[in-house]
Amino acid sequence: MSWWARSRLRSKIFCAFSALILVVSLAVLGFTQFIVSQQVQATLRQELLTTGQVFQGLLQEQAERLRTNAALLAGDFALKKVVAPASDYDPETLASAALNYQQRIGVDLLWMTDENGTLRADANAKKTSGTSVATLSPLAEALQSGEATTAITAIEGKLFQLVAVPVLGPDVIGFLVLGEEINDALAQQLEKDTGSRVTFLSHAQLFAASWGPLDRERLFPDGHIPAMLWDSQPNTTMLLHLASERFLSLLVPIAAHLPTPLFALVQRSYDTALAPFYDLRRRILGVGAGAILLALAVSIGLANGITTPIQGLVTSMHEILRGNFQQRLRVNRQDEIGFLADSFNEMAAGLEKGEQIKDTFGRFVSHDVAEAVLNGHIPLAGERREVTILFQDIRGFTSISEKLDPAELLRVLNQFFTEVVAAVEAEDGVVKQFTGDGAMVLFGAPVAHDDDPARAVRAALGIVHRLASLNARLRAQNGPLLRIGVGIHTGEVVAGRIGPDERVEYGVVGDPVNLASRIEGLTKEMQATLLVSQITAAKLGPGFTLGRSAALAVKGKEKPIEVVEVLAYEPVVEESHDESPSLIVSPSLTDH
Amino acid sequence: MHQQKFLFPFLLFLLGVALLTTSPAAGATVSGRVVGSDGKGVAQAIVFVQALPPGVTPPPVSQSAIMDQVNKTFVPGLLPVVAGTEVHFPNHDQIQHHVYSFSRTKSFELPLYKGEEASPVVFDKAGVVKVGCNIHDWMSGIILVLPTPYYAVTDEGGQFTLQDLPPGAYTLACWHALSQVKVEETVQQVQADENSPEVKFTLSLATARPHPAIRGARGDR
Repeated sequence: MSWWARSRLRSKIFCAFSALILVVSLAVLGFTQFIVSQQVQATLRQELLTTGQVFQGLLQEQAERLRTNAALLAGDFALKKVVAPASDYDPETLASAALNYQQRIGVDLLWMTDENGTLRADANAKKTSGTSVATLSPLAEALQSGEATTAITAIEGKLFQLVAVPVLGPDVIGFLVLGEEINDALAQQLEKDTGSRVTFLSHAQLFAASWGPLDRERLFPDGHIPAMLWDSQPNTTMLLHLASERFLSLLVPIAAHLPTPLFALVQRSYDTALAPFYDLRRRILGVGAGAILLALAVSIGLANGITTPIQGLVTSMHEILRGNFQQRLRVNRQDEIGFLADSFNEMAAGLEKGEQIKDTFGRFVSHDVAEAVLNGHIPLAGERREVTILFQDIRGFTSISEKLDPAELLRVLNQFFTEVVAAVEAEDGVVKQFTGDGAMVLFGAPVAHDDDPARAVRAALGIVHRLASLNARLRAQNGPLLRIGVGIHTGEVVAGRIGPDERVEYGVVGDPVNLASRIEGLTKEMQATLLVSQITAAKLGPGFTLGRSAALAVKGKEKPIEVVEVLAYEPVVEESHDESPSLIVSPSLTDH
Repeated sequence: MHQQKFLFPFLLFLLGVALLTTSPAAGATVSGRVVGSDGKGVAQAIVFVQALPPGVTPPPVSQSAIMDQVNKTFVPGLLPVVAGTEVHFPNHDQIQHHVYSFSRTKSFELPLYKGEEASPVVFDKAGVVKVGCNIHDWMSGIILVLPTPYYAVTDEGGQFTLQDLPPGAYTLACWHALSQVKVEETVQQVQADENSPEVKFTLSLATARPHPAIRGARGDR
């Protein structure tokens, strides 16, 4: 047997309830986590994509600003004079003028070249004049088109956004190259504007980042770019770990003139974005734990509510099995348990009454009698009433019992008494007691009928009749043939419950009882089977065939008792005289 | 000043009469064609004598030329002059112009003026001079300063004819505003006489692109 089958109902309910709550809580939490993380990822990804677009926009805007500034500057006549091929500025003066222009519009880089792309002045004095920068984007494109062009390119390891505009005088007399460096400060500004971490990098180099020095060293040790960055496709997000924090990251391609493609690595902290959810999860867990405790308490209560009455029922059932029929359940509820308890109580009450009846009247009580007793129609406290008492005895029982072995004797006796009881119950009599080979039967107590004397005599005749059949069977089995004597008397007795509580029984007390017994004794003397007192005979009514009568002296009685032999009974059918009447005739009555 | 306009053709006429009458044999003609790399004739190319044969003295020519400013445009847009010519830049617009050039050949500046207030500019060195206006970026003109007075401008078919050349071996060169071939590289030797050969110049031209400053509206035009 499994643990589940062995365990008590309360444990089962408790376990099932707890498991259910736990599963539901975890499922809700898991589902919530899944949905929230999906949503956070989607939101972050959208934000990163937006940030990427913002970058492109900001870079474009910066390019436009550069272009506008450069165009305005290039249109300046004084600048044209400076740039003009015919100008006789010496290189130092040119560089100084370039620095002046650079400071005027506030850019990181300003170059002046001749119409062929040969550098004439670098405001930062990093490149020497006379160097050709004609192949550098965007100057190369501007030389081709003669128009202002912009590009992102690297100069000596630094990333610049450059614009090259022609200086017209009125044809192209030179070029002005302006540039803004894409550096950490710009990345930090972008982070401030967009809320995303920004790193500008190519496969070969890390150019600028908004990360602080510590984080930058963790992400890009010694400026080395982790290879896993390139595992994902541009414009698809990935999760990168920095210490214990996760960052949703997106590579945004940026058009640039570099040997390897340039990207802006845009990152947002996944864990920071999930922080509200983590908080929510803590709360859910707290609430869930509370709910589980509450549910456990409820389940305990519920289990108790269900199992306590059942337990009571089980205990009471054990009591009933032990014979304690007074056991009752006290359950004040209207549900199935209440119904069960009521049913149990009814059952117990039924059993108790049945036992009471059995205790009071013995086993052989007809259904009507039992009903009358149970309905309280019969006062058991004691009363005077007229009853007809029948005594029956087996003739020559002693010699029969000597001939038969005990088992056989009892078998024969039981067969006989079965017939006696059947005959008595047929007339609503009560077998008060068996006396070894005889029986005492009451008619009129505890239930009275108008014709109790007649019923008693019919029952006696019935016994005699049934005995004939029994004797036929016994003869076939080589058993002993039984003969009986029956005495009947009617008189007033005291009826009620007699005996101590534990042995109480219904009984009758009075002289008529003794007299009935005496009359039965007289049957031997008169060689009669069925004798009734004159008093009884007087109450018989029609249909009975009476035989001899005698007045016999009885011990303890001054006057002799008048007795009458009853031979047969024939029901009186007034309407149909033609039909042959059924006649109950005792064979033994006709024998002698 | 208006008299000068009539004086110049008159002098030319006198010169022609003198040449015809005094030296009827002197008057070789060299003709030819300037084509692009696609073989089509190139108009508005200028073929000129880079170097004269020894002993040939160029005839005297007018020392004055005009590049007018009409409707915010230099007229003519291309003005070939002989070195030493002084060019006048009259302004016939109702507004002022600020004519300048940053060219190596000749750098000058005529600050804001109207009418004929500006002094003429002498172009004494052969070369290309690009002229602009400081206050109108789109205004652009070219003064081609030539070393000798012998030059011709090609017609629509790219044809040119150099006339009245004293016989001799000439060095010819060709220039065009869009030419990607340097003038020095176009140089050809030609024997000018009665049977002068046809001369052919082949230029590779850049595609003409709109002047950057011409984008958009041209003010009140």
